[in-house]
Amino acid sequence: MNEETATAGIDVERVDFVRVPVKDIEEAKHFYGEVLGLEQNPNSPADDWIEYEVGDVTLAVMTPHTHDYEFAPLPIGTIAFRVPDVAEAKGKLEAAGIQVFEIWDSGVCNGAGVRDPSGNSILLHHRYAPYPDGTMP
Amino acid sequence: MQVERVDFVNVPTRDYDQSIAFYRDVLGLPQNPRVPTEFETGNVTLALFDPTEAGLEFATNGCGDIALRVPDVAAARAELEAKGISFVGGQDTGVCHMAFFNDPFGNALILHRRYAP
Repeated sequence: MNEETATAGIDVERVDFVRVPVKDIEEAKHFYGEVLGLEQNPNSPADDWIEYEVGDVTLAVMTPHTHDYEFAPLPIGTIAFRVPDVAEAKGKLEAAGIQVFEIWDSGVCNGAGVRDPSGNSILLHHRYAPYPDGTMP
Repeated sequence: MQVERVDFVNVPTRDYDQSIAFYRDVLGLPQNPRVPTEFETGNVTLALFDPTEAGLEFATNGCGDIALRVPDVAAARAELEAKGISFVGGQDTGVCHMAFFNDPFGNALILHRRYAP
């Protein structure tokens, strides 16, 4: 952590959750829980607000229409899921009937975009190159 | 299929300098020394991304609010308001305090603190 910048501001400790808006909660539970295999938080507060733990951060999968606002999908590549192998993950999702876009290679990482059943854009992601200091993600 | 973690959450921008000033100087998030357009929040990386560079239309994160944990929502809100940040509203859900605001390009952010076990 950079001490100089960390002392300014409002003492953000972490990201508690990222909201993932969906149109149909049952469809979303199938996708995030069963297809992606994310772990559901047993303390999820409501039937229209289901939380999934993804290693480092919580995804709050929820229906905007039951929370008084309009649905708008997440734009391109909003949430990047780290997978061991993008091609393998793509193959598994396609076998489950999920369309996955072409794999790209940035020179340091691979990625492939996917849309959840509500049209949210997520990314399968794997960095294969070390950082300039030699460390790996 | 195995998902290990979230590597980053994209934050759409139209101007990197303006967004960097907001996330680094206003919110005080530590900037990634290797990638100045990335910010570390303690657990997950927020990555600024200008979609027009990829030939895509700009869109905000929409309903994809990012909830930032702070020690005290009211104090953090007051500090940001003193810096000229407007809030859309606030809420006490019975288990947590929340205050809703946007970054300079309209991306939805939340100051969040759960107080109930």
